[in-house]
Amino acid sequence: MKKIIGTSIIILLLVNFSCKKENTAIPPEPVKTISGSWKIIKALRNGTDLTNRFDFSAFRINFSDSTYTIENLVPFIVSKNGKWNFDDPKYPFKISFTAQNSVEKGSTMLYPVVDGVRNIIISFSPGCTLNTYQYTLQKVN
Amino acid sequence: MKSYKLKKFHNYLVRILATMIVVIIISCSMTIESVVQPSSVNGGSVLPVTLNVQVTTNQSQTSKLMIAMLVPKLWNVANKASITFTSDITTGAQPMTVIPINSPAPNGNGLNWPNYLAAKIGNGGNRINDWEWVAFYSNADFSLGGNVTVNATVSIRIPVSNDNISFKLGYVVANSTDGLSESNRYGSFFPGCFTVNGTGDLIDFCNPQLATVEPRTASDNDIITIGFDGGVAANLLENASTIYLCATGITTSGTRIDVCSQVAASKLNSLGAGRWNVDIWPRKFFSLADNQQLEKLEYFFTDAAGANKVGYGGGKAPFLYTFKCQ
Repeated sequence: MKKIIGTSIIILLLVNFSCKKENTAIPPEPVKTISGSWKIIKALRNGTDLTNRFDFSAFRINFSDSTYTIENLVPFIVSKNGKWNFDDPKYPFKISFTAQNSVEKGSTMLYPVVDGVRNIIISFSPGCTLNTYQYTLQKVN
Repeated sequence: MKSYKLKKFHNYLVRILATMIVVIIISCSMTIESVVQPSSVNGGSVLPVTLNVQVTTNQSQTSKLMIAMLVPKLWNVANKASITFTSDITTGAQPMTVIPINSPAPNGNGLNWPNYLAAKIGNGGNRINDWEWVAFYSNADFSLGGNVTVNATVSIRIPVSNDNISFKLGYVVANSTDGLSESNRYGSFFPGCFTVNGTGDLIDFCNPQLATVEPRTASDNDIITIGFDGGVAANLLENASTIYLCATGITTSGTRIDVCSQVAASKLNSLGAGRWNVDIWPRKFFSLADNQQLEKLEYFFTDAAGANKVGYGGGKAPFLYTFKCQ
């Protein structure tokens, strides 16, 4: 009888101390960062793929916390260096550029991970509004 | 013997059932019986079009009527055209509204109506890739019983631009349930080449061109594609192994900037069958200053030596392109 009571107490203690309160707190969504140098890996004009037809290879856009610089310009939403910002740092759906001595220009933005690599997809019209360009940017290693 | 007769009866039965199924399937149809439109209009006027449509059902269905038009992009039809229709089962003119481009077409594998129409129906034979399909739904849904035939008259009014254009218009009728799922579920009609007597250089979608520029509406800050089709007509470059662009940009202040050297940036890419093209960004190609803006482009094509030069109609006058956004 003593043996049964002793075993029961041990089991009860084990069960009590093995249980912990489940941590159900939702981890905070991180602020998205795009700092670094990005290149164009895909370019569409009105749905037509221009990636291998026009030389986009030297273009770079270098993002820091709030500013950007452009190297080897191609038709883009802005043509001068300036400042940038997201509509929402945690859940960005729009990126805005304010070039020096210019008004703010915005673009819808997708931020997918493709093959384990973060891409930025932006759409804009550098010339006539009837012509829409979609660039896929990828960070330069 | 009995088994043979049974087998024969079975075969007849299968054939009769198959025929019935085919009759049921093909009895559900939407067709454009005729199209009434002028052969030409003046630039800046309204193009009136009437489609005579017939809808035949084999089972009851509730759907919206879909009418789509193949038009030049520069007409901006989605924002400017208006469509109504009358029919045997409605009273008065029924309004139609352009279908938002983020709205997927039924049975379209996620494509919106314009892309679905482009993939399934095509470009109607237009030679310049600056066309679009614009689709409209009836504002109301309509319920039709089985084995019903309904005639509808669709009235379309399209304000055309001032441009000089020849274009092969196209029309499609379908509904919001079937989409373009089967060839008998929609009707299409291509009335042939239509002309707008407008101003400026002729934008000829109907006939093969020695030279083309895409997009037709562009500014100097767009990437434009200049094409050469050496097989269209006899010319000095029809057998050339390499072809270069020789161009003059004319700014809004009248300054002429010549770029006519046979270098990599002006070299056209061979597409085969005598067709060539090159993509240029005019602001860079002509090394424009920030305060300069291009108004026009005059251009020729040359061989590697620059000795043989081909212009408009294969002659010595340049091809012309005007930069404009509307």
